[in-house]
Amino acid sequence: MSNFQFRADQLVDEMVQFNQNLSKGVKNLLEADEISSGVTPREEIYTEDKLTLYRYQPSTGVVQNRIPTLIVYALVNRPYMMDIQENRSTIRGLLDSGQDVYLIDWGYPDRADKYLTLDDYINGYIDRCVDVMRERHGVDKINILGICQGGVFSLCYSTLHPDKVKNLVTMVTPVDCKTPGNMLSHWVQKMDIDAIVDAMGNLPGEMLNWTFLNLKPFQLMGQKYVSMVDIIAEEKNVKNFMRMEKWIFDSPDQAGEAFRQFIKDIFQQNKLVEGGLKIGKHPVDLADLHVPILNIFAEQDHLVPPAASKAMRKLVGSKDYTELSFPGGHIGIYVSGKAQATVTPAIAEWLNKRT
Amino acid sequence: MSESNPWAEQWFNAQQQFVDAWSDMAKSGVPGNSSQSDLWAQSFDLWRKASGAQVQPDFQQAMDKCMDMGKGYFAMAEQVSKSMNAGAEPAEAINQWMDQLKQSLQQFGSMPGFDGSAVNGFMKQWFNPTSSWQQMTAGLMPMNQGAWQMPGMNTPSFNLGEMIDPFGTMLEAPGVGYFREPQAKQQKGLQLALEYNQANQAFNQAFLQVATESIRDFQARIMKMDAETAPKSLRELYDLWVDTSEEHYAKFAMSEEYQELYGDMVNRLMIMKKHYSEIADDTLRAMNLPNTREVDTMQERLQQLRRDNFALKKEISEIKSMLQQVMAGPAATDAAAPAPRAADVSAAPAAAPAARKAPRKSATRPAVASKTAAKPVVKTAAAKKAATKAAAPKAAPKKKTVVTKASKGA
Repeated sequence: MSNFQFRADQLVDEMVQFNQNLSKGVKNLLEADEISSGVTPREEIYTEDKLTLYRYQPSTGVVQNRIPTLIVYALVNRPYMMDIQENRSTIRGLLDSGQDVYLIDWGYPDRADKYLTLDDYINGYIDRCVDVMRERHGVDKINILGICQGGVFSLCYSTLHPDKVKNLVTMVTPVDCKTPGNMLSHWVQKMDIDAIVDAMGNLPGEMLNWTFLNLKPFQLMGQKYVSMVDIIAEEKNVKNFMRMEKWIFDSPDQAGEAFRQFIKDIFQQNKLVEGGLKIGKHPVDLADLHVPILNIFAEQDHLVPPAASKAMRKLVGSKDYTELSFPGGHIGIYVSGKAQATVTPAIAEWLNKRT
Repeated sequence: MSESNPWAEQWFNAQQQFVDAWSDMAKSGVPGNSSQSDLWAQSFDLWRKASGAQVQPDFQQAMDKCMDMGKGYFAMAEQVSKSMNAGAEPAEAINQWMDQLKQSLQQFGSMPGFDGSAVNGFMKQWFNPTSSWQQMTAGLMPMNQGAWQMPGMNTPSFNLGEMIDPFGTMLEAPGVGYFREPQAKQQKGLQLALEYNQANQAFNQAFLQVATESIRDFQARIMKMDAETAPKSLRELYDLWVDTSEEHYAKFAMSEEYQELYGDMVNRLMIMKKHYSEIADDTLRAMNLPNTREVDTMQERLQQLRRDNFALKKEISEIKSMLQQVMAGPAATDAAAPAPRAADVSAAPAAAPAARKAPRKSATRPAVASKTAAKPVVKTAAAKKAATKAAAPKAAPKKKTVVTKASKGA
């Protein structure tokens, strides 16, 4: 028999404390105001279909990088993760370092967007946003910062349009989807993607949510809410916790044809590594990618394991390739205090050196 | 925070009273007649319904989850404390609780239709993946979710196939006459529903097996622990349970078995859904109403038209640009050089829209992008060679790979 130290009365006291915290937390939730999505002021520059290109209000009193940076976010989840709260905003950090930041908000695709392909997203939407920025700033090339799936889009775009990209930053971007321990990729290998898209049209955001939560179900659907009780007992924590919570469940549907190609080509057939990827009629070979690259990955990323991102190094043709390893997870790389102090300044410094 | 909410105060006071009463009872060792955790959760539900208390829509789900998990956590404390009040040592109390959980799992294992959605208390957390799957797919099913929640499904003798087709002949019977085809489609639909149901059951049963193994391992770990390593609080005990469960789940989730079971479940659901969509399409067509196939055709054509439209716009812009250069005469064309770049565009945002409308003088500059510039790089041998040459000038630096740790500063 093991030698446990806790007593029955101690256990009761712990539950009393838990219940008191829960009572306070629920009270705080009931009294909380609506939460915002994104905090930094921005203006609409260009719209097309459900897409909006935003420009964030530049910081004053800092030396501006004359090359603007376009953030290409993933189609899954919403981009306000980059600007989640005042003291946890990657975008604010970039602005404060003199970057001129633009962001593509993909909006919420519906059935009318079912036939959008990767070609439409990459050689259509992204390319037109890039042209708008180039014209506004009178430059031939801009910087691109691709996030997760948006990183894959950015890799493809930069390979196909080298005349328009000055520097490329990728964050938690899956390149090799057949590395050991990649649970997400493991799950989709036996899935009939054609059957899914043919049956559903677009992939519902709820299905994506289920998938992401079930990568770590006990932590993400159980333990988190038990821990939440302690957090929201403090009034000041409620809004911050709820911003994250809102973001996690704010999952747009995925345009059917783009989803079909992305999962089949990138995850199932691993074409960024194995070759044979085509965006529209145009072959994409990362060996043709020669722009300077900063590739950032998270060491504890359970969605995009570091090995999946680091594979980029051997595939790209760029002579100027830099890796940045962050000791955290897929979300922490944007919202943690550590990320604000290290990752964002590193991106800015890297970009400034190459302007 | 908004102004003080009277319902929130009421909740807070009621809970304080409840907790005080529970605490006195638990410490005195008097066992309650029913589960206190159930009473606790019920009191909240009743209060909320009676009060009509409103919460921000964004917060509703989190609050429900919080209450749900809180209830499970409460149930865990209750089980352990009951055994301890009855004189058991902590480890023995945990062991007894685990034995109860294993017994429940054995019962569930004998129910082919078990999906975890009916489980309450602490074990509900183990069945989040399967029960949330039922919830999530409820909106995707061709028939009402209630069709799957049949009487007796949580019994060992439940067999959906036998319920639908007791003699095993109905789904095989060939159709005849005018309705032969619709009948065959309905038969196939039921067959596909049964196949999905079987795949779903196989997934759930495998999950049960992993849950049992996880509890067994948790028990073994608890029994091996000494004073140094044993949990020192209920929260530490709970965290250990989460870690153990997550380890077993991850092993299962990365197995070939999971890949097969999960893939099969998803694929059969989608095949069934597609089949029933086709039946719905037939019905809509018979009623002279637009159906999915027709809308899809229109959307596909429309998307192609939009692509063509953008391509044409680009070509027109390009032609206009060329015309402007021609009309400006050869001198202007010769003099055309890259326009001066804004040194600090952000400092003069008002100038940007004007710049957008300004006619282009440089053929190499974007906006009205030249055809070659706008076109993605086509990888011919010559083009690749040229691109490589252009991108890697003689003075290009050697490939520089810097691996840096963000924590140490970059």
